[in-house]
Amino acid sequence: MNKTVSINLAGIFFHIDEDAYQNLKNYFKAIKKSLQNSEGESEILADIEGRVSELFSERIKSSQHVISNKEVDEIISIMGQPEDYKIDEALFEESPEQEKSDIHKRRLFRDSDGAYVGGVSAGLGHYFGIDPLLIRLVWVLLIFGAGMGPLLYVILWILIPAAKTTAEKLAMMGKPVTISNIEKKVQEEFENVKASLERVKNSVNSDNK
Amino acid sequence: MKIENTKAQMRKGVLEFCILSVLKNKDAYVAEILITLKEAKLLVVEGTIYPLLTRLKNSGLLNYRWEESTTGPPRKYYTLTESGQLFLVELTTTWNELHNAVSLVTHPKTTKK
Repeated sequence: MNKTVSINLAGIFFHIDEDAYQNLKNYFKAIKKSLQNSEGESEILADIEGRVSELFSERIKSSQHVISNKEVDEIISIMGQPEDYKIDEALFEESPEQEKSDIHKRRLFRDSDGAYVGGVSAGLGHYFGIDPLLIRLVWVLLIFGAGMGPLLYVILWILIPAAKTTAEKLAMMGKPVTISNIEKKVQEEFENVKASLERVKNSVNSDNK
Repeated sequence: MKIENTKAQMRKGVLEFCILSVLKNKDAYVAEILITLKEAKLLVVEGTIYPLLTRLKNSGLLNYRWEESTTGPPRKYYTLTESGQLFLVELTTTWNELHNAVSLVTHPKTTKK
């Protein structure tokens, strides 16, 4: 059973599943982001909504028909990823924009995935683009040097927020927050969880023997 | 350098010319233009066309009018303006020159006699 939402797309009324609605909403949001600062942005968006509405109309058999995620995914594969809507800027660049990681756009977070203690060093490492091991070495030297190291570490631990959401983790690495990047990252994390579950399973199995 | 990027650049370069050509003989709404371009494999995803159409319209090469549709939302019918016609004539010349030049370079034996 699924809750449905009623939407008005270019003047046409549709019933749509709640999760399909979220999917579609995120898609439009990502396109808007991708078109930011292009000429005639709102007009382009209206045209795109019109086309999506047209494609839905073609697929709907009766007024009782509810649009599901399958149909939304189908439309997205016809219309293309948000990056496909950019035209000029990236045209003659060697590498697509999404692969460049820009140091100025990085944000400082604690990286709990790569943490030994609180993730401060891993976070600083991402921010400055250096190996966290070097930063950890400096901490160790500070303990012997002035004795202020641990205190400073604790202060930073408190001040720097941990990267919790996928968007924050991408911002930490300096990667732009696009739908496809988020998908990639979520997939990665899912694989990690799966791998650690396997490990637990294997060690349980070997303990039983 | 990725082959996909180079391919996309080549396609995008001629896309504006092709959109204008589709509209040369008759007005069309976006879905019709899309069908022609997709059949010719010039477009992979539809999204690319919308920023292009808006830009062509804002540069005064295209105009549009709204027409009601029985099956869905109202359709935007695009038409070539006078400067659009001139633009297309120029682009056609350039395309022919380019086409000759490229075939000269890529098939030297068949064109030289």
